[in-house]
Amino acid sequence: MTGTLLFQSLVLGVLLGGLYALLAAGLTLYFGVMRVVMIAHSAFLILAAYLAWFFNQQTGMDPLLSLVVTVPLFFLVGVGMQRLLITRLRPATLTMMSVLLTFAVALFIEGMIGFVWSGTQRRIQLPYSSASVEFFGAHIAVVKLVAFALAALSLALLYLIMKHSRFGQALRATIQHSEAAQLVGIKTDRVAGFGFGLGLATAAIGGTALSLDATIYPSLHWHWIGPLMAIIVVGGLGSIPGAAIAAMVLGIGQSLLQVPLGTTWAQTIFYVALFVTLMLRPQGFFGGRLAQRF
Amino acid sequence: MASRLSSRTARRRTAAVVAGLSSTALVLTACSGGESEGEGGGSDDPIVVGISLPLTGDFSEPGKGVQRGYEAWAQFVNEDGGLLGRDVELKILDDQSNADRVVQDYEALIAQDEVDLVFGPFSTRLVVPSARVADEYGMLFVEPAGAANEVFEQGFENLFYAAPAIADDHYNYLADHILDMPEGERPQTVAVASMDDPFAQGTAYGLRDKLADGGLEIVVDEVYPPNTTDFSSIAAKIDDSDADMVIGGTQYQDAVNLIVALQQLDYQPDLAAFSTAPTNPEFSAAIGSETEGILSPTGYTETASWPSNVDFVERYTELHGNPPGEDEANAYTTGQVVAAAVEAAGCAEQGECQQELISWLRTNEVETVVGPLTWDETGKPQGAHLIQQYVDGEIQIVLPQDAMEADFVYPKPAW
Repeated sequence: MTGTLLFQSLVLGVLLGGLYALLAAGLTLYFGVMRVVMIAHSAFLILAAYLAWFFNQQTGMDPLLSLVVTVPLFFLVGVGMQRLLITRLRPATLTMMSVLLTFAVALFIEGMIGFVWSGTQRRIQLPYSSASVEFFGAHIAVVKLVAFALAALSLALLYLIMKHSRFGQALRATIQHSEAAQLVGIKTDRVAGFGFGLGLATAAIGGTALSLDATIYPSLHWHWIGPLMAIIVVGGLGSIPGAAIAAMVLGIGQSLLQVPLGTTWAQTIFYVALFVTLMLRPQGFFGGRLAQRF
Repeated sequence: MASRLSSRTARRRTAAVVAGLSSTALVLTACSGGESEGEGGGSDDPIVVGISLPLTGDFSEPGKGVQRGYEAWAQFVNEDGGLLGRDVELKILDDQSNADRVVQDYEALIAQDEVDLVFGPFSTRLVVPSARVADEYGMLFVEPAGAANEVFEQGFENLFYAAPAIADDHYNYLADHILDMPEGERPQTVAVASMDDPFAQGTAYGLRDKLADGGLEIVVDEVYPPNTTDFSSIAAKIDDSDADMVIGGTQYQDAVNLIVALQQLDYQPDLAAFSTAPTNPEFSAAIGSETEGILSPTGYTETASWPSNVDFVERYTELHGNPPGEDEANAYTTGQVVAAAVEAAGCAEQGECQQELISWLRTNEVETVVGPLTWDETGKPQGAHLIQQYVDGEIQIVLPQDAMEADFVYPKPAW
């Protein structure tokens, strides 16, 4: 093992962690707002990647432009899904039933992707697919850099919305104590719907970022949901900064562990972290209890 | 209140209708089941072939190719008057790339549906469990995809692999060619990355071990689980070793992702060999123009001049608009092998007939689209694979000498 390899792995880990952070942020948002375990998050992610691929295939334009359509579309789908499906679940069993409901949604999306675009594995061919920039002896792929930038930008935007907009304040109030939020005049139903839409919008961005540098196929989402679930538990369910930090730490950890341990064992870091968290600090390492300290 | 009440009644009514319909369907299927049982073995009945394939899940890409091959075979046989004068009918189930499902599927096909013949599924991981089921029922089991050595070490007496060579022998021509190069010119160091899969590892390790025995140094030897999608770290290791040659024991998406990750790191080997993926038509669409020099073994080429292949390629191309790939050809070969045995034995049903089919294949040669095939007592075919390379933007046969379409390019151009 050389220093260059170590540094290269570190850089790759940071880039991977950035993407994980964006994807986990959406997932933790649903739980924070509504106590919903959203198994279909990664299915929407793959759907967005397919839409980006399809857009590129049809128009020949850069897949990033598909965001103009997919982000608002996913936001609306998210609001609709919350208003029409999630609210129908009984509050007492909401968390458990949401697993079943969103599992079904995930299967539905996977099936539809396969039905419409077949199981053929797709990849977007870009002129800069294999281009890279040199950075202190490490190579950084341009596509990974773009994905990372996209993730960082969206996370920053999400942070601004949550911290500094009236909607964000209402959303945080709903997360912290929805009855109290109702008492001060917040329409928590509508806020929850928008929160869900916001979470799904991050899936649109994440999926587009993913499509730049991945071969996609309908069942790919199952490979993503496990690590993402582990990340949001480690980060503290409902805490966006917690999810982002946990994602970064685990992403870098995975990348670095691959050097001595190989790919098979490096993957287990997510689950080891999950077990350790549940044993030592069930409320998560970085967030407060259910994100009360966003 | 009234409207809610009526809507509830309506809902209940719908439920009753649905329940009624489904029970009717059940009765209907039960009836039709009884009927076919009554007439089973009649000379006008179609010959039913039971197959389970991964149409969804990790192996759906090659699984669908195999499906196209089987369906083309059945269609062409029926157009030519059928087998033993009977039509051929395929019954294909989806095993979702799952080894438990594949066992259930073959149990159901053989015991419940009482199919006359079975064809194998795709991928070694699914072939072994399904061959065991077929073995228990004494069914002939010709399969298009179980190429790993372990398939032939299970003691199956009913299994035949319908391709020219097992995984470990795929790269034999390439290994010989590299070891024949002068010491100073040939690659000295080799990096290997393989999926944790018996077929993928069989191909890569067959070549790796032959090169290691010939004095080349193995500097990276990575294994990754089949669900790996991010190959940047493996690529970083290979790049760091600066090996002269890279071998990928790959299926499809892993090869594409690994190659792109290697390109992103600007790693430039003298030789790059990947199994399976490069022969897939999607491969160039995914990698673009940077495929030049990539090597891959193949058991099939559409340009081969075997008589049945010329016919197969022509009819298949007419049907689908594009020539068949390796998966389609292997599936078609499976059909040809079984058909040859059926024609020779003069029967196609469960029971003693299956043993006649097996005995005939043990001792006879079958002309197929991948050339004449014979098998040893374990069902291992007795041949080697052709080596293809991307030359001038097209995948062409470069080894062995007597089959080549283009000259072997070494060192490979930068990607």
